[in-house]
Amino acid sequence: MTSPRQYESYFRVFRDIIRSMDASKNLTEVLDVVVTKSTEVLDAKGALLRIYNPDTDRFDVRAACGLGENYLAKGPVTTEKLLPDPSELHQVKLITDLWRAPRVEYPQEAWDEGIRMMVDVPLAAQDHMLGLIRIYLDRQRDFSRDELDFMLTLADECACIIGRVQLLEDQQEHFYHLATQMDKLSSLGRMAAGIAHEINNPLAGILLYGSNMRKKVPAEGPLADGLDIIIKETQRCKTIIQGLLDFARDTEPHRVMTNVNRIVGSALGIVENEFHLRHVDIGLTLAKEMVATPLDANQIEQVVINLMLNALHAVDEYGHVSVRTFVDQTADTVCIEILDNGCGIAEKDLKKIFEPFYSTRSEGTGLGLSISYGIIRNHEGDIQVASETGKGTRFKIAFPIQSEAADKKVFP
Amino acid sequence: MNPLNVLVIDDEQVICDACRLVLSEKGHTVAHRLTGQQGLRELERGDYDLVLLDMKLPDIDGLRILKIVEEKAPETCFVVMTGYSTMSNAIAAMKLGASDYLSKPFSEDELLATIDQLFAGA
Repeated sequence: MTSPRQYESYFRVFRDIIRSMDASKNLTEVLDVVVTKSTEVLDAKGALLRIYNPDTDRFDVRAACGLGENYLAKGPVTTEKLLPDPSELHQVKLITDLWRAPRVEYPQEAWDEGIRMMVDVPLAAQDHMLGLIRIYLDRQRDFSRDELDFMLTLADECACIIGRVQLLEDQQEHFYHLATQMDKLSSLGRMAAGIAHEINNPLAGILLYGSNMRKKVPAEGPLADGLDIIIKETQRCKTIIQGLLDFARDTEPHRVMTNVNRIVGSALGIVENEFHLRHVDIGLTLAKEMVATPLDANQIEQVVINLMLNALHAVDEYGHVSVRTFVDQTADTVCIEILDNGCGIAEKDLKKIFEPFYSTRSEGTGLGLSISYGIIRNHEGDIQVASETGKGTRFKIAFPIQSEAADKKVFP
Repeated sequence: MNPLNVLVIDDEQVICDACRLVLSEKGHTVAHRLTGQQGLRELERGDYDLVLLDMKLPDIDGLRILKIVEEKAPETCFVVMTGYSTMSNAIAAMKLGASDYLSKPFSEDELLATIDQLFAGA
């Protein structure tokens, strides 16, 4: 039977944790309060809180209290040993026999530390494990149902905080990445524009002399063939440089309230034939209710066409590409998604795809995505890519909904 | 078309030479200058039907040259050449009296077509 005094102490622990959450934006400080308070209220020797790190596939120690340095300095724990059976994801596990418990990796060290019992409380988010609180006791004892409930509630609260902070950190990382990317691309653009001018001058010489000579050589023969190649390739250089200047120029978009569905429909009309020719199936799902968005329809159509053609090149014949528009109510954005089941982009290449001249196709200029990136950036939009080699790629473009436009629905 | 008196103002010797080659083969007389100052002096001295003017010169901006000559040589026809083929540049040049616009690099046919169009019937 839990005494009122105990209930009061549980209440205090919750209050302290919630206060620490409000007072601090630093996850470590909150986790320190969690381990200290749970040790205190359960009259334990100490506690350790681990959070799963997907980069290393390990449960890293993020907070500890009451344990000696020697014990903390022991090696890493095996991830599999800590992962509970899915059915036990929301259950407290009592470990009374340290020597035989499969979950205990270092029984000797634990024994030397004076530990005689352990209590594992999983930090679970719906269907997966975020981490674990392990409470260490210096004696064996029973736990009441209320105590177990208290630990689970504490763990739920803790999982909730971790989830929230991780989301925040992910967003921070995303924006930091975006800012770095923008900075890098704009300096690349500035440099490219300077180079473009310098290159156009010698190209002008090549093209003028080349085209002049072409008229002086016999209409057919190796000289004419060679000069034709020189002229054609010089003109190709001009196109590449023009694209680069388009990218660097930061053309201010001429934005009017537009229905994204219409842009996507029109882009599809332009590329449809290419898809038929290569027997690639293209599916279109337009949002039933679309919010009007201030966009430069021509520029966005150019972006969508570019992404559709990239998808077409990524899939083999008889592949599938799907295009979808939707309104993301949570993020307050209007989105266009282009999905293919093609070859995918290797992880090492993903970071570079928006850089000018980066292309994996021999016939590509490597400017399509960088120009698209510039256009979306000028619309205060965002472009994200997710890809898996051999499985396919997903590009998602999102434009912020303007608050005054939120009420105006445009029907396709 | 009657033979024209053409002045090329460009800091790139290769472009001056190439224009001279192409145009002199068509019977035109071609002179060239490598800086804006030299070009302006030559314009005051000589009598030119056509000036091929680079927009980016080491000393004076092409647009500024157009402003200066607008009053001094109103009868001279100007075609501007640039590596930055932006619409705004073209519009700015046209507003200052340029007759046409060539975006570098351009071929012999493009150059001749531009001139033909300007002096058709002359």
